[in-house]
Amino acid sequence: MLKILVCISHVPDTTTKIKFEADGSALDRTGVTFVINPYCEYGLSRAIGLREEGKQVSITALCVGGPEVEPTLRKALAIGADDAVRIDAPANDSAFVARQIAAYAKGKEFDLIFTGKESIDFNGSIVPGMVAELMDFAFISFATHMEMKGDNSATFHREIDGGMEVLDATFPVVVSCQKGISEWRIPNMRGIMAARKKPLAKVSPAEVREYVDPVKLTYPPARGNTQYFEPEDAQGLVGTLIDKGLI
Amino acid sequence: MAREYVNMKNLRFLLHDVHQIKEVLAQPYYAEHDLESIDMMLDAVKQLSDTYLFPHYEDMDRNEPQLEGGEIKVHHSVRPYLDAMGEGGWIGAVAPMDLGGMQIPEMLGVSAAFVMAAANNGATGFNGLTTGAANLIVSFGSAEQKEKYLPKMFEGSWQGTMALTEPQAGSSLSDIQTTATPMPDGSYRIRGQKIYISAGDYTETENVVHMLLARIDGAPLGTKGISLFIVPKYREGEHGELVFNDVTPAGLYHKLGQKGTPATHLMYGEKDDCHGYLVGEPHRGLSYMFQMMNEARLLVGLGAVSIASAAYHASLQYAKERPQGRRYEDGKRDLTGPQTPIINHPDVRRMLLLQKAIVEGGLSLVMECARYADLAKAGDEETRAHYELLLDLLTPVAKTYPSEMGIVSISQGLQVLGGGGFCKDFPLENYYRDIRIYPIYEGTTGIQSQDLLGRKVVIKNGKAVKLLMAEIQKTLEAAEAYEDLRPYAEKLRAKLETVQQILMHLVPFAMQGKIERYLSDATLFMELFGLVVVAWQWLKQGVVAKQHLVSGKDDPDFMESKLHTMKFFYHYELPKTLGLAERLLDDTVLTIAEDTRELVN
Ligand SMILES: Cc1cc2nc3c(=O)[nH]c(=O)nc-3n(C[C@H](O)[C@H](O)[C@H](O)COP(=O)(O)OP(=O)(O)OC[C@H]3O[C@@H](n4cnc5c(N)ncnc54)[C@H](O)[C@@H]3O)c2cc1C
Repeated sequence: MLKILVCISHVPDTTTKIKFEADGSALDRTGVTFVINPYCEYGLSRAIGLREEGKQVSITALCVGGPEVEPTLRKALAIGADDAVRIDAPANDSAFVARQIAAYAKGKEFDLIFTGKESIDFNGSIVPGMVAELMDFAFISFATHMEMKGDNSATFHREIDGGMEVLDATFPVVVSCQKGISEWRIPNMRGIMAARKKPLAKVSPAEVREYVDPVKLTYPPARGNTQYFEPEDAQGLVGTLIDKGLI
Repeated sequence: MAREYVNMKNLRFLLHDVHQIKEVLAQPYYAEHDLESIDMMLDAVKQLSDTYLFPHYEDMDRNEPQLEGGEIKVHHSVRPYLDAMGEGGWIGAVAPMDLGGMQIPEMLGVSAAFVMAAANNGATGFNGLTTGAANLIVSFGSAEQKEKYLPKMFEGSWQGTMALTEPQAGSSLSDIQTTATPMPDGSYRIRGQKIYISAGDYTETENVVHMLLARIDGAPLGTKGISLFIVPKYREGEHGELVFNDVTPAGLYHKLGQKGTPATHLMYGEKDDCHGYLVGEPHRGLSYMFQMMNEARLLVGLGAVSIASAAYHASLQYAKERPQGRRYEDGKRDLTGPQTPIINHPDVRRMLLLQKAIVEGGLSLVMECARYADLAKAGDEETRAHYELLLDLLTPVAKTYPSEMGIVSISQGLQVLGGGGFCKDFPLENYYRDIRIYPIYEGTTGIQSQDLLGRKVVIKNGKAVKLLMAEIQKTLEAAEAYEDLRPYAEKLRAKLETVQQILMHLVPFAMQGKIERYLSDATLFMELFGLVVVAWQWLKQGVVAKQHLVSGKDDPDFMESKLHTMKFFYHYELPKTLGLAERLLDDTVLTIAEDTRELVN
């Protein structure tokens, strides 16, 4: 039996128009739809793929967050996780989150821990490496492919600048996933209905200090105004581009 | 920018806030579902639509099915789509769980169908027809028929159809001539032909299950002599193997729109070897079919509103991006400044608001009907009778308003794009062609209107209308709690009186047996009644938007836009009832054929 932990980050839908609270301290959540972080979903999907390949697996989905993340975990259950765990603490700080995951996973003999390569809200790419370090597991980052090799190891592909790296690793391994490792799955109705009855446990957070304190979020500078030139005014266009130091 | 075709927030607003699906979910029949799972299912439908439907919309239109060597081939995206639908559990979603369905509320079924048809209405006919055909078997089939057909249909590997229409029997189904001869083994031999049968045959399905209307030899004339049969393309042979059942495609129609779904001309029993299996009792076929048609008609209204939704989003995006002309400021236009996006011109804005008002008003009406269907299904005898009566009354309206006004809406949407709207570079011309079928199939607008005025408003001494008035009354009272909604409640109240006045004027013709006179303007009555009913739906939405604004709990921009569109409907659309009322109360009738001379020449 392969024991798999899939870390799920709860993030705003990619199509959301992001607004901040008036003081800029946090995301304004009104009217925002939250989803499973797409990169985490690759991990979940790969784990389910192992089951479809005939492996005995147990899949636990985990998310650090308040009660608002439960629908996201429920969706992971609908897609095919066997049980879910919510570590009841806000996920503001990568080091804090990684320590929570490691504290939960220690002693539970996971063979594989899947994460996304990054979460699409704060794009830190920090958690997976830290979890691997804290657990003393092998770490494969940015995995685009995974194939079992026997019962206790796998071959991985990693995308690297201008090429690909192929690695073998013996479990336990932390894998941070990206596009290619699997295809996203659409939950079916049976899965959605079954998810209501699968266990979703709330776990108290470990005693870990917060390492950073979020202060402020700002938007990127607004794009400049559009300036129109008449078709015959090529000179005006070139002149403006030169003035702005663009050519 | 990725193009949108539905507003999911609006769909959730209607489902949860306006029509309160939680009341339906509280019924024990729906115990396997909750609000969270309903939302998850909606998300799944959107994902399905984004993946399997929307990307193929244009290509399906450009590469229509072909009949070659006696075989019909459909677009390559149909098979993977139907597999995904079957795998997802969507084809049998509304059916009871003990028959392999998911027992979801109609309200969710309607919401799902809305998203999918907006994504690609050329494809959704395939599964929609299978669902409809399967529902007939669920309601009236024998245990053996259920076991034999439902699993294959629900998994998407067998296609279902509705085989009603014949060359001489379109609107007039009592003229059906296809025959069924009883055989000693209990089956029937079917002989005849059917035309326009959607998804009637194609190679990318294992089998086709026709729900076919025919006359058993010696059956009485008219509607009381028509029976319902299951006629598969391949029947089960002696050893359980599938053998050809003598159903052949004689032709394929080339249509204006909805080209993805083949409309077929089918021959049954050319070699005298077409076996049919009676569903339910002999001679009851049309009444079974009518029960099903109620659902089908709702889905037709929904389909129309879906396409209109997709068209609205395409127009809206264009209007925001297309700079053309300038606005007046202090009575002048600054010709040196940049052009303004066309959404800033009042005329364009009017067209967009009209589209939004029709789409969101029409969808709300269909959702209301679905809610009645759910409450009827789950309730006791009395509750069932109550909601069924309301549903009976509103179904022809929910079929017709979106179909007729959807055309207007898309036409205006096309206008928003100017020349671009007329060309294939943009999808508007495609939506415009696709929606045109909606007032025709599942009973034309003329037939729906006669059903409304000739039957629904008068059945049980006008009880259905009374029930509707009571429902509307609840909305009026809720609206009157808010100062700024009160004028709209008053407008609606006045229109209800207009409806009564018109009925008092017309019904005496029916009582005097002057039926042709009574029904001569039925379609105009439908138009007026549709406006009033949709005005009610807008007020209902307005009340909820107002409640949200007062409590400050949700997206204020969305709620303000709702109220704005409600006002638009009341100030721009509802006044059209004035002209209609004048006509309906006018005693000069110029449309009844005369015996002695022909004045239309
Ligand atoms: C694309 C497409 C798909 C279809 N799919 C199917 C299908 O899957 N299965 C199926 O069985 N059929 C299907 N049909 C057939 C469709 O239901 C019929 O075309 C429709 O019912 C109208 O019948 P008709 O074409 O014979 O028109 P007619 O009945 O000849 O009607 C012509 C006109 O006369 C009017 N009219 C007719 N009778 C009356 C009356 N008594 N009083 C007032 N006005 C009247 C009608 O409103 C209409 O305007 C499809 C048709 C099309 C075009």
